[in-house]
Amino acid sequence: MAPLTPYTYIQCPCSDASTLGRQADSNSPRSPDDDELDDRAFDPRAPRSNYSLYPLDYLNYCEDCQQIRCPRCVAEEIVTYFCPNCLFEVPSSNLKSEGNRCTRSCFQCPICIGPLSVTSIESPPDPSLLAAPDGAPAPHSGPYILTCSYCNWSSTEIGIKFDKSNSIHAQLVKLNNGGTTRLTAKEHRERRKEASQDRLAGPPSALAAAASNGGENNEELDLETQFANLKSFYQSQLADAAPGGSGLSSLNDLGFSSPTSLSRIMSLYTGGTVHNSRNKSRTGTMREALISDEGLQIASLDESAAIQHLHSIDYSETITTEQSTNQPPHLGEVHPHGTSRFASSLRPIPYLLRTKRSKRCPVCRHIISKPEAKVATTRFRIKLVASAYIPTITIRPLNIPSSSTPGTLPPLQPSQFILTFQNPRFETINVTLATPAKTPGRFSSKVTVLCPQFEIDANTDVWDEALKDTSDKTKLRRRGAAGDDGTHQAEAGKIWERGRNWVSIVVEVVPASLRLDLLEATAKEDEDVLEIPMFVRVEWEVDVGGDDVGTAPSRDKEQTEERELAYWCVLGLGRVGQA
Amino acid sequence: MSRRPPRGEYIETDTGNKVARKANLVGTQNIMLGGKTVIQPEAMIRGDLARSIHPSSSSSGAAPGSNTAVAIGRYCFLSRGCCLRPPGRLYKGAFTYTALRVGDHVFIGPGSVIQAASIGSHVHIGANVVIGELAIIKEYVKILDGTVVPANMVIPSFSIVAGQPARVIGELPEGGHEAFELRELYKTVGNNPQPAPS
Amino acid sequence: MSSSSSKRHSILPPISQSGPKPPVQFSSSITIADSALLTGSNPILISSESVIHPRARLDSLSGRITIGRRCIIHERSTLGAVGTSGRITDKAVALGDYVTVEVGASIEAGDTVIGDGTTIGVGAKVGAGAVVGRNCTITARSEIKAGEVVEDNVVVYSNGMRRVDRRGVAELRNKGQARQIGVLRMMIPSNPAKFQ
Repeated sequence: MAPLTPYTYIQCPCSDASTLGRQADSNSPRSPDDDELDDRAFDPRAPRSNYSLYPLDYLNYCEDCQQIRCPRCVAEEIVTYFCPNCLFEVPSSNLKSEGNRCTRSCFQCPICIGPLSVTSIESPPDPSLLAAPDGAPAPHSGPYILTCSYCNWSSTEIGIKFDKSNSIHAQLVKLNNGGTTRLTAKEHRERRKEASQDRLAGPPSALAAAASNGGENNEELDLETQFANLKSFYQSQLADAAPGGSGLSSLNDLGFSSPTSLSRIMSLYTGGTVHNSRNKSRTGTMREALISDEGLQIASLDESAAIQHLHSIDYSETITTEQSTNQPPHLGEVHPHGTSRFASSLRPIPYLLRTKRSKRCPVCRHIISKPEAKVATTRFRIKLVASAYIPTITIRPLNIPSSSTPGTLPPLQPSQFILTFQNPRFETINVTLATPAKTPGRFSSKVTVLCPQFEIDANTDVWDEALKDTSDKTKLRRRGAAGDDGTHQAEAGKIWERGRNWVSIVVEVVPASLRLDLLEATAKEDEDVLEIPMFVRVEWEVDVGGDDVGTAPSRDKEQTEERELAYWCVLGLGRVGQA
Repeated sequence: MSRRPPRGEYIETDTGNKVARKANLVGTQNIMLGGKTVIQPEAMIRGDLARSIHPSSSSSGAAPGSNTAVAIGRYCFLSRGCCLRPPGRLYKGAFTYTALRVGDHVFIGPGSVIQAASIGSHVHIGANVVIGELAIIKEYVKILDGTVVPANMVIPSFSIVAGQPARVIGELPEGGHEAFELRELYKTVGNNPQPAPS
Repeated sequence: MSSSSSKRHSILPPISQSGPKPPVQFSSSITIADSALLTGSNPILISSESVIHPRARLDSLSGRITIGRRCIIHERSTLGAVGTSGRITDKAVALGDYVTVEVGASIEAGDTVIGDGTTIGVGAKVGAGAVVGRNCTITARSEIKAGEVVEDNVVVYSNGMRRVDRRGVAELRNKGQARQIGVLRMMIPSNPAKFQ
């Protein structure tokens, strides 16, 4: 098993039941019942802890609430939509009409999801040599195809070629696999209009037509067309049923926007009888779709053709579940009933758009992260990340007895780790640590933090750091000296090392033996990972002298305010070996 | 005795590049280093595979600097055994190599083979990664170990990428941007390496 | 570096030519880089117009190595590697015509055959005794196990998936390969005399 690299995960307060009610005022004095809650140590393996632990990098910080915010609790707002392949921005107005995929020429391979490139058939589409990229003038401008440079799939396998090298999406929409012209929903509608003129007699004759023509009207539709047909069919029925219409029935009330419909629904729920008399008068029902032009699709349950086809083809010509789910929902050739099983029915997948998003604090609604809107820039207008406010904790092994399995911690023997806390703040901070004496869970290991309380000097400016280069070196030398003489021992109550804005301390653990429970059951997945819940409390003082308007600044210039932040984190130290 | 050789393991240039003597640089006249870049032993750069067709002037009298095959920015780190080579392609029916451009603060893991067209700044490429020809990798991208990025793929900013073929498996959090800075790593190698800060 | 490096044309450290110098049979039209690495005791045959990049390694210790016409052997690839499955046979590795072996690929020794027009991708491995057909593509970092057979026109991708290449562009690919060789011959200073 691969050795585990030590990690530190931090719990966002949003998942802590005890803080749920008072997120906004974490500075308020602690009420007595908090102590009860504090007695309950955080269990990193509890089901509730799922998805509440994050590496520091993933956390934001709200300056107004002075609290950690995680990806799960922040409210996101989309700033920009763009295609991850051509990196063009897509206006949000286009999104409503065109959907959430790139409508230019960006496609993924339906076989391997690699990028597809547009290639002229005349030029060699060789994976190792690479033909001309999109739009580049090819030696012969001829029909174009999409090719995958990874798995060598090409759109010729589904019988599709393009006349132009640009706006492939628009061309693909009009092509069926095999190269036949695909009618758009609008064209279908026009065709239906012509057809319906032939049978003006109305629904009964349509029914008769469907019955007499049998399968003829049941041409196979793709999802998009079927939906369009269904929609227009029912819409036309609603229109037909309008007052003064054919008199079939007064179904106008079924439009959800109409006030009568609303009152009818209301009466359904309230049990009122206000409109009962009116409702009784409404006797007509809506007719169901009967032919494919109206959106009816008869499930093809006869799969003998598919089975026949399976006999004649290779396994690799069938599609996997993943390939099938990767298919875009509206471009499927003949899809509605999951009949697509063959590679020949796959369609190139237009790239899903990606977004740039800003984040808001869920409590105070302030923006805590906002990227620049332009796709090309990577700058942020606002970026409040937790690593700029709370200390980073890094774990380094100090003294680990040799174990039977390399890279694991030997059980029942004390191992020592160095925890280094780095202070990102420009104020000196006081850190108080607390861990349960024994880790929660079936295998409880003993934990001792040798120095649970210490002070870390303030962070300094980058320029100060550069100017004080010499002092930095002396510090390094001191560290070197400490490492050289072997007498440097971990002592209780003393910090291990101290630097400009960091302090390291020692934690000693005695891992539990995994054998204890062998009789009961085998260890669950990752139960051998030694995880220590640790409560971190950070206190610092901030200058509030000039900031507050209400107070008189002249009276006390050195007015400071105590601030504190407390949170649970989990230290993953390593896997416990077999005794 | 072993600590005595007069020559260090690295050649340190005026602009602060640290190039291992055991690095395999071919065609150095076509390789541009921005400065403060580390090239570890057995890293290979194919500067000899320069553009053979010039887009505008076909005459050989092109400006000397225009034939750069591999351009690398500042604070890049080329780990042991990686290989950078310009991508080749057929252009108007003729075969030519085109330049490989690498931004600043780009880490390239051991054993990785890079044939991209461009790699933006602040990119981390893990170990044994293959970047296919003419791929474009934008700023702030993390490519995990063993990934195969197919030819022509574009990887947008703030992506975490893995798999064969590569796919975007996650988004980089804003808090992780600092980790791409390679200034500290630069100090830890060379003839007088400094210990890494804790 | 560009300005200061004019004095150092190239900083390739010397190659340690360890072991015996293998008997070679080169066509007069091949291009072989000075820093290619040829070792072993059995013959190495390279047919016309093939290109051997710098630091490519041909090891004939376990048997004869045959390279067909217009092949490109990229840097750091190894033909005749012992690897995990390599074994001693008469013919260690035989490449057909128009074969491309990309950077860092490894073809192990032991009657291993690579068919015409096949591409072995970056960092791919072909085990001993494997027979790869014509016009195949073994994508980057894929592995063909020892003794495996890959039919003609098969693409091996995504770590072991296989499919048939139906593009039918073998001829165009070969044409492209010829063009690439034309360019490489101008770029790679050839020094076949060193190995003869």
